[in-house]
Amino acid sequence: MSRIDEIVNIANHVPPFPKVALQVMKMLDDPEVKAKDLAEVIQYDAVITANLLKTCNAAYFGLSRKVSSLDDALVVLGQDILKDILMASSSAKFYKGQAGEGYSLEQGDLWKHSVATAVMAKLLSRHFDEVEPGVAFTAGLLHDIGKRFLSSFVAEDFQKIVDLAHSGEASFVEAEKEIIGMNHAELGGLILEKWGFSDDLRLAVLQHHDPDAMEKEQLTAVVTLSNTLVISLGIGVGADGLSSAVQGQGLKKFGIEARDLDIYLSEIVFELEKAEEMLSLAG
Amino acid sequence: MKIIVGVADMRIGKNPDDELVTYSLGSCIGLVLWDPVVKVGAMLHYMLPDSSIDAKKAAIKPYMFADKAIPQTFKEIYAYGAKKSRMKVYVVGGSQVLDNSGMFNIGKRNQMILRKMFWKNKVAVTKEEVGGTVNRTIRLQVGTGRVRLKTSGQGEVEL
Repeated sequence: MSRIDEIVNIANHVPPFPKVALQVMKMLDDPEVKAKDLAEVIQYDAVITANLLKTCNAAYFGLSRKVSSLDDALVVLGQDILKDILMASSSAKFYKGQAGEGYSLEQGDLWKHSVATAVMAKLLSRHFDEVEPGVAFTAGLLHDIGKRFLSSFVAEDFQKIVDLAHSGEASFVEAEKEIIGMNHAELGGLILEKWGFSDDLRLAVLQHHDPDAMEKEQLTAVVTLSNTLVISLGIGVGADGLSSAVQGQGLKKFGIEARDLDIYLSEIVFELEKAEEMLSLAG
Repeated sequence: MKIIVGVADMRIGKNPDDELVTYSLGSCIGLVLWDPVVKVGAMLHYMLPDSSIDAKKAAIKPYMFADKAIPQTFKEIYAYGAKKSRMKVYVVGGSQVLDNSGMFNIGKRNQMILRKMFWKNKVAVTKEEVGGTVNRTIRLQVGTGRVRLKTSGQGEVEL
């Protein structure tokens, strides 16, 4: 089996995304959906239920009172927040343990990077009229899922990739592609397709390292920008460091200036302090 | 004791067995000060050059912005008897992603403001490791003044 086939095979056999989450997301498309009906579906997944209860009391979501039961949570949470919590509760399991070891990431780093990107994408979504904040959040959570599954391949050829990236002739992602045959964004795109996510989400994950990402769909642009800012801050960054190429001039058409970026960078630090419960999900 | 300096924070180490460490400096800058006579160290991890973008945030986290953080760090270490004339000064970080537009040159702007302030106040840098596209971790052993730098994808070296 060739290297590429091996990697494609990983995407084909990736553990499924929690069915309950996908089903509830679909139910939430109906604005009239009843909390009772949602609870009936959610309670079948004990992990999601536990995570949901843990997360919804996080300061980040700003609820005015403590939530202790699923029924209670569903009444108190707005649909938008419920979607975010559901996605965070369902994604976390893929980021547990040594999820990014091949990239020299410490335990928990890949999840921290993903949550930070999700929170940043949600903040930035106000500049992108075609992007729903919740979808931006999900895209941020999942943009680096390919790293989780490419990690062992990167570990095998670590020195070659790092040397190429440090030579200045390629970004880390280009080096990944050159040496392994596929980069983590491409693998992430395959995984999202396998999981049955919508095309805009799949594309945002697939294209988040394309140098012309700012010229693509708005969801791709917002995830690329969020990831770039989170990388700049060094949040959950491994051997790839800041070796990521992006074309910043594309931001002007969204009315975003360098000064705005400084403001968002300062904001994310405060936002993450409120997101501790969410960060602890992948422990 | 190991003292971790978080993002937008500054810590002082005054015991010989203290080790100050700050992780994952991307475009942020880590400033390390150490006085060989009183054997006190300071480590600052600032994020952005200019506090005028948000005075409220600067009031809550004075170590977030270079213009507030750098003078405050010197002030803090002077209180322990450190002197500018004999102080060792290390500057690390300030890297940035690959972008020709200048939109993401946060690292460069973080370096510029430090240089400007140091020039104006006649502070000499002992050693610096700045720029590029790497991520850095820096440690200071307070008892000895040893400074070690770890760069993403590479090992650890002594500065």
